Amino acid sequence: MIKKIMICDDDPGILEMMVMIIEEYGFEVFTEANSVNVLKDLEREKPDLLLLDIWMPVLSGDQILKTIKAEPKFSSLPVIMYSASAEGLAIAQKAGADDYISKPFDMNDLEAKITALL
Amino acid sequence: MTANIKHIIPDQFVLFKALEAANTGIVITDNLLPDNPIIYCNPAFERISGYSREEIIGHNCRFLQNKDRNQEARFHIQRAISNGEDCIVELRNYTKSGQLFYNELYLSPVKNEQGETTHFIGIQNDITARRKVEQALEMNYEETERKVLDRTRMLKESEEYLSSIVETIRESLLVMDKDYYILSANNHFLNTFKVSINETKGKLLYELGNGQWNIPELKKMMLEILPTNNPVLDYEVEHEFPHIGKKLMLLNAHRVEFEGQFKDRILLAIEDITERKAIEQRKDDFLSIASHELKTPLTTVLGYMQMMQRLMPENSSEKFKSVVSKTSMYVDRLNQLLAELLDVSKIQTGNIELHMHPFDFDKMVSETIEGLQTATPHYKIITKGKVGVSFNGDESHLVQVLTNLVSNAIKYSPDANEIEIYVSKVSNFIKVSVKDHGLGIKDEELKKIFARFYRVGEIQKRFPGMGIGLYISDQIVKNHGGTLWAESEVGKGSVFNFTLPVHEEREEMKND
Repeated sequence: MIKKIMICDDDPGILEMMVMIIEEYGFEVFTEANSVNVLKDLEREKPDLLLLDIWMPVLSGDQILKTIKAEPKFSSLPVIMYSASAEGLAIAQKAGADDYISKPFDMNDLEAKITALL
Repeated sequence: MTANIKHIIPDQFVLFKALEAANTGIVITDNLLPDNPIIYCNPAFERISGYSREEIIGHNCRFLQNKDRNQEARFHIQRAISNGEDCIVELRNYTKSGQLFYNELYLSPVKNEQGETTHFIGIQNDITARRKVEQALEMNYEETERKVLDRTRMLKESEEYLSSIVETIRESLLVMDKDYYILSANNHFLNTFKVSINETKGKLLYELGNGQWNIPELKKMMLEILPTNNPVLDYEVEHEFPHIGKKLMLLNAHRVEFEGQFKDRILLAIEDITERKAIEQRKDDFLSIASHELKTPLTTVLGYMQMMQRLMPENSSEKFKSVVSKTSMYVDRLNQLLAELLDVSKIQTGNIELHMHPFDFDKMVSETIEGLQTATPHYKIITKGKVGVSFNGDESHLVQVLTNLVSNAIKYSPDANEIEIYVSKVSNFIKVSVKDHGLGIKDEELKKIFARFYRVGEIQKRFPGMGIGLYISDQIVKNHGGTLWAESEVGKGSVFNFTLPVHEEREEMKND
C-alpha cells in the first residue's frame, strides 16, 4: 500500500517543490499551508508521516507538535521537522520531533529520513 | 651775614683754586649783560662738555642743549632766572662731539645789596651713568611688566583654547578632585545627562542626580581598577537612568600623576555608545533575517535542481548535462555564501555554537582534502605529516576552516598548480599549515585580512567574494582556543597556519 505523507509549510513554493520530490519517491502527498488546520487534516487524511516546518505564522511548528504529541490518537505519528534556522534542531528535539532536517536539504537525505521512519 | 662771610674768606686765590679743583662743573653767568653770557667755567666743566674755555666764555648756556631745545627743564630755568631763585633741573646736554649726557644742573642766583640778581652760578653734574642705570632699571621693569601681561594673556588664551576644545568634543568630560568631587563638567555631559552645572559642580560623583550615578561597575572601576591601572581605557558600563533610559557607556578614566597643583585630579571621559550598539545590533539582525529569508526560496531552487538531475534523460546532450551541472554548482555556491553570512551574524551576536566531540583529526584532513582534490583536478594538493591523536572539537566547523584555507590558496594562485598542506603535532598543539605559490599578501594588508568584510583592494576586482571566509575561520579557531595566522611574500606565495590546543588527559577520560 502506498504511504501517505503530509507536509505543512506556509510557503507555497516549498510545498510545490516538495510535493514533486516526495511523489517522485513514490509516496502519496497531502499539503497544508495553514498550520491552524493541521489537527483537522490529520483526523481526515490519516497520513503515515508528517513533515512540519518550524517557522510559520499564527501557530509555529513546535506549538503544533506539542499538541499532536499530547493527543493519544496522533502521538505515535512520525514527525520530521525542518527549518532554515540554526536553532531549528534544538527546537525540534525539545518539541519531540522524531527527526529533523535543515533547509536547504539534500533530496537523498530527506528520502532516507522518511524511509527510516516508515 | 655777607659781611661776616667776607671776614672768614681765607684768600681769593685759594677760593679760585678750590673752584678749579672741583670735580663738578661750575659756570658763572653775568645777568646784567645781555643774554646772560658765561663769564667763568672751571676745568671740570670743560671736561664734562668737551668744549675748551675759549669756546665757552661769552656764550649763553643753551649751547649745551645743541638742537634738543624742546626740554621741559628750560621753563624751570627761565622762571628761576627771571625770579632770581634757585632751581635744580635735569637736562639733556650734548658734548662737543655731540654725545648726550645727562646734566643735573643746580642754579643759584647771586644778588647785590639792592637785591638785584647780578650773577647765576651753575653747578653741573654729569649723571649719565646714573641715568643709564635708572633707565635700564625702568626698561627692565617695563619689560617684566610686559612679559607678565603677555604670559597672563597667553595663559588666558590657552585656557580658553583648552576649554573650547573640551566644549567642542562630542564626548562627556568630568574633572574630579581626588575624592571624586566634581570640579567641572563640559556642556556635552550636561546635555547628554540632562543636568545643570549647579546640580553637578561640587557634588560627589556617585551622588550626582540624586544617586543616578551610583553605579556599582563605575564605583568598581574608580575605586578598585583606577588606583592600580592608570589610565583605564574603554571600560564598558551599562546603566538604566531614571529619565534618559538605558545607556551603554564607554569610559576612559585618567588620574593626573604629574607633580603640581593638578596632581591626583581625575578625568573621566564618557562616550555614549548606546546608539552605536543599537545600530550594530540592527545590522546583525538584518544580516540574520536576510540570510534566513533567502534560504527559503533557495531551498526550493535546490530541490528543483536535484529533481532536474534525477529526471534528466540518459540521452540528453552533453551540453544540456553540463548546463544542469553548472547551475547546480552555482546554487550550491550561493547556499554556501548564505551559510557563511548566517555564520557571521551568529558569531557577531556571540551565538556561534560549537558542537564538541572527539574525532580523528588526520581522517578529517584527508577526507576534506580528497573532496577538494576531486573538485579541482588541475591542482595538486599535497598533504604531509600526521597528528596521530583524536581531537575534541567541532568537526564540521574545522572542515569549514580547512576548506576555506585550501580554496583560498587555490583561488589566489592562478598561475601555480600545487598546494601543500602540512599537519603536525607541536607540543600539545595540532598545527596545520597551508602553503601556496600564489600572489602573496603585502605586509600592511596581512593584519587586516581577518577582519569582517575586508577585501584586499586590488584583489576585489579579480577575485570576487564577500571577505568573510577568513573572518569566520579565525573566529572558529579562536573559539577552539587556537590561533590562525598568515605569513606571506608578495609574488612568492602565502602560508596560512592554525594551531589547536589538544587536552589529551581530558580526551582520554572522555574516551573511557
